[in-house]
Amino acid sequence: MNLKLSRNYLWIMSLVVVASMTLAACGAGTAPEPAPAEAEPQEEAQPAEEEAPAEAEAAEEEAPAEAEAAAEEANEDEQISEAAKASEESDITKELDLGATVVSDEEVTSPRDSELFGGEYRSVSTSDAVSFHPYLISDSASRGYANTVYYRGLLRYDENTMELIPNWAESYTISDDGLTFTFILRDDLKWSDGEPLTAFDYEWTYEQAVKPENGYPYLSQLEFIESVKAVDAQTLEINLTEVYAPALGQVDLLTPLPKHIWENLPWDDPEKNPEILSPSVVSGPYKLVEWQRDQYAIFEANENYWYHGAPNIERQIIEIVPDGDVAYQMFKSGEIDTTDITPENLEDAKQLDNATIYEWWSVSASISFVGLNMREGFPTSDINVRHALNYALDKDLLTEEVMLGQAQRVCSIYPETNWAFTSDVPCYDFDPDKAIELLAEAGYTLQDDKMVDENGEQLTLNLLYGPNTNQTRELMAVIIQDELGKIGINVEIQALEWASFLEEFRSAEPTWDLVLLSINSTPEPHTSFPWWLEENIPEMNFSAYINKDIEQLFDEAGATYDIDVRKEKYGEIQQIIAEDSPRIFLFFSKSRSGQNNRIKGIEPTRLGIGWNAEEWYIEEE
Amino acid sequence: MLARYIIRRSVQSFFLIWLSTLIGFTIYQAAPGGPVQFLEDDPKATSADVERLATLYGVNRPIVIQYIAWLAGEDWLPQSETWRSGRCLADPDRCGKGIIRLDFGKSFYFKGQPAIDVIIERMPATFILGAASLFLSIVGGLPLGIYAAIKRGRLPDHVIRVSTVLVNTVPHWWLGLLLLIFLGGYLGLVPLSGMYTIGDGSLLDRLHHLILPATVGAIGGWIGFSRILRFEMLEVLNLDYIRTARAKGLSEKAVVYGHALRNAIMPFVTGLSGIFLLALSGSVLFETVFSWPGMGRLFITAVNARDFPVMMALFVIGSFLGVLGLLMVDILYSLVDPRVKYDVAN
Repeated sequence: MNLKLSRNYLWIMSLVVVASMTLAACGAGTAPEPAPAEAEPQEEAQPAEEEAPAEAEAAEEEAPAEAEAAAEEANEDEQISEAAKASEESDITKELDLGATVVSDEEVTSPRDSELFGGEYRSVSTSDAVSFHPYLISDSASRGYANTVYYRGLLRYDENTMELIPNWAESYTISDDGLTFTFILRDDLKWSDGEPLTAFDYEWTYEQAVKPENGYPYLSQLEFIESVKAVDAQTLEINLTEVYAPALGQVDLLTPLPKHIWENLPWDDPEKNPEILSPSVVSGPYKLVEWQRDQYAIFEANENYWYHGAPNIERQIIEIVPDGDVAYQMFKSGEIDTTDITPENLEDAKQLDNATIYEWWSVSASISFVGLNMREGFPTSDINVRHALNYALDKDLLTEEVMLGQAQRVCSIYPETNWAFTSDVPCYDFDPDKAIELLAEAGYTLQDDKMVDENGEQLTLNLLYGPNTNQTRELMAVIIQDELGKIGINVEIQALEWASFLEEFRSAEPTWDLVLLSINSTPEPHTSFPWWLEENIPEMNFSAYINKDIEQLFDEAGATYDIDVRKEKYGEIQQIIAEDSPRIFLFFSKSRSGQNNRIKGIEPTRLGIGWNAEEWYIEEE
Repeated sequence: MLARYIIRRSVQSFFLIWLSTLIGFTIYQAAPGGPVQFLEDDPKATSADVERLATLYGVNRPIVIQYIAWLAGEDWLPQSETWRSGRCLADPDRCGKGIIRLDFGKSFYFKGQPAIDVIIERMPATFILGAASLFLSIVGGLPLGIYAAIKRGRLPDHVIRVSTVLVNTVPHWWLGLLLLIFLGGYLGLVPLSGMYTIGDGSLLDRLHHLILPATVGAIGGWIGFSRILRFEMLEVLNLDYIRTARAKGLSEKAVVYGHALRNAIMPFVTGLSGIFLLALSGSVLFETVFSWPGMGRLFITAVNARDFPVMMALFVIGSFLGVLGLLMVDILYSLVDPRVKYDVAN
């Protein structure tokens, strides 16, 4: 131990110590608070804080790791009215004729302008993918990776009309009885190794996916399919078990895998099937180059991509970062091209010289609401109480205060961007007097600023939210507590860690009266059916709301391909639900994404920002 | 004598490791949720889906059976859903062999990858960061401790004591986050994440990425080491032989470094083997803050996903290393200090 101990050295050491102390002390005051919500990146990655269903994401996740899992979002009024206008124009009025064939005349093979080709698109994610296997994964990071390398999309939503139009399939036909879909695939579809991509790939993949021992988590989503048959290389025939309206959109769950590669490999064993962790033959816009776990993934353009060949941007790089704050710093410095913009960062981000904040009202926007417990014995089982609570909350004010203009009030189970939306529902505008009146009918009277029942006990409601680190929900809870307090209702707030929260709010014997939630909507209105089924109490139907008319209407809407009939049924459903008030609807959020100015060609639509990612290009300034 | 002692301690160690797995397993079972929880809050999956997957993974078996299967394997258990996981029933090749046959099981979260592979992949990163932190804490901590001891009761001693206490009152990971945002975000002096720049990976680049995480990781060591060393030094400096050394006219330098430090540093060297475990547990926080792709970050991921094979494998590896460290300390003591005797007779 011959430590040379010079005064100089010690002086420097002490300086470092003092400097870091000072830093810590100053940091507490000036540096942005390390938001507790961000401190647990895992929370976000876990499936469904925002409950994002598949079809919606297919459209949005084209650009890998857009990390769109996204937080509470937000906005301005002109935009919403524009979106609403667009929605009126684009209402799907066209009826799908049974027996008729819908053909696409879109030319898809001409190569893109080679001058636009090149460059790297750099993005980050707070959690890494776990696998590329489309039939094993369930987290959004992995879905992002898988969607980058494996394309799916026999049909796709038209970005303007929200109609399903032929895509990979050149045409499709629905049989007279509505039970058979026949897709004619484009004849030039190729895997990245040049082998043709055919209906046989579909057939083989389907057969593997539905084997129970293969562990596909979403097998129930394929139950509407009786069989998938390749008539010949180009003709894919899908037989349904019953007429099921969302089926046309839902066949998209079938992501074909390259039969010629996978056939001789075990389906789900990553030890023996290298394709699961490093796919070599792909159909998506990009091929995997390198994946360093928990560090980064690099993708490069697939020149055999079916839609006009290789996408403009040559490489995609996704780096794993600790949290959103770090991501935002990297975005500011131009190290990365995109990031999520949180409400706190929005003002700062709008001032950036090197970036643009794109905002849009998404068809898969998340709707925030207060769920009411309708079980016997809870005050909210009385419809008058539910209506009273609805009137007592100033939802415009809440939307404004919480979302800072980044959200729009909503009164229905669908956002305005959905084709099934109707504005013809009771909206319960703020009216505390009416609330007091209704509470009187339910047997409560206001005495000494306290709303008391006939025994003189104050009306007390338990408000549950989670995760307890979510500052937006905390703010909402406090505002609700305050507003209901004004009419003498005592609200007790309970915040729980995510897993405990899930357990409590879906408990068969819950203790909460009110629960704060937000759920992502989907382009397909039928997706919300399970939330209203009696058999789904207490998991999805956590309010224990039983209304057989709604189940009946959903069944009817699902059993026809006639858009007009469906629209009418969904309209009725929205009216009944708004009338019964199992939920107090608050707002739906605006989506947004920050993009570096060197990325050109971005045009967000209701489908999201990534729908035309292949057309984006890089222009260095 | 020593051999018998080692044998006895090894047996005890195995018992200790087993006990720690039992504790880990109990905590895991007591926490809400499970490996299929990701499906429970996913509207696309019905309860039938959840049920099917739970059977396939074998996580709806009685808790005791799950533990037995994890410990001793399931291939010898009766052929029924109560005893075996669905995978094992469908294909005998896929039965777990149990930890006692060194099969750590397959990860749920990582979709069937062997838990041990997932861990091994992340080991180097943790060891690099741990070794660098250790190095920095020794380089920083030793001189501070020596200096404080020499200047005992005077200003430098007070400054060092007060400042280390102050730094210690701040959670180090939080300090790390602040430093990261300040040095990396505002000043751009250090990279914001990762182990190396994509496409670079030269030694210089790696050091650049390592410097901040390693420094923050070293803070705890700095403080601990400097205090231990100060204490030991003071004790030694008061001993007679030091007075003798001074009396015979040796320079202060020779007294401090030649005589005092050598003895003061003894307990410190033996303690280093335990430090290894400390580095491992610290990694959980620092790796998360600095998005360092190591085992600590993996542990957080595994716990959040309730990925029980990976979690338990990390438990076993962690407790194995810890127990090994303790064992080594004991043995080292006897080698370093002949006065220590191991009496196995009693």
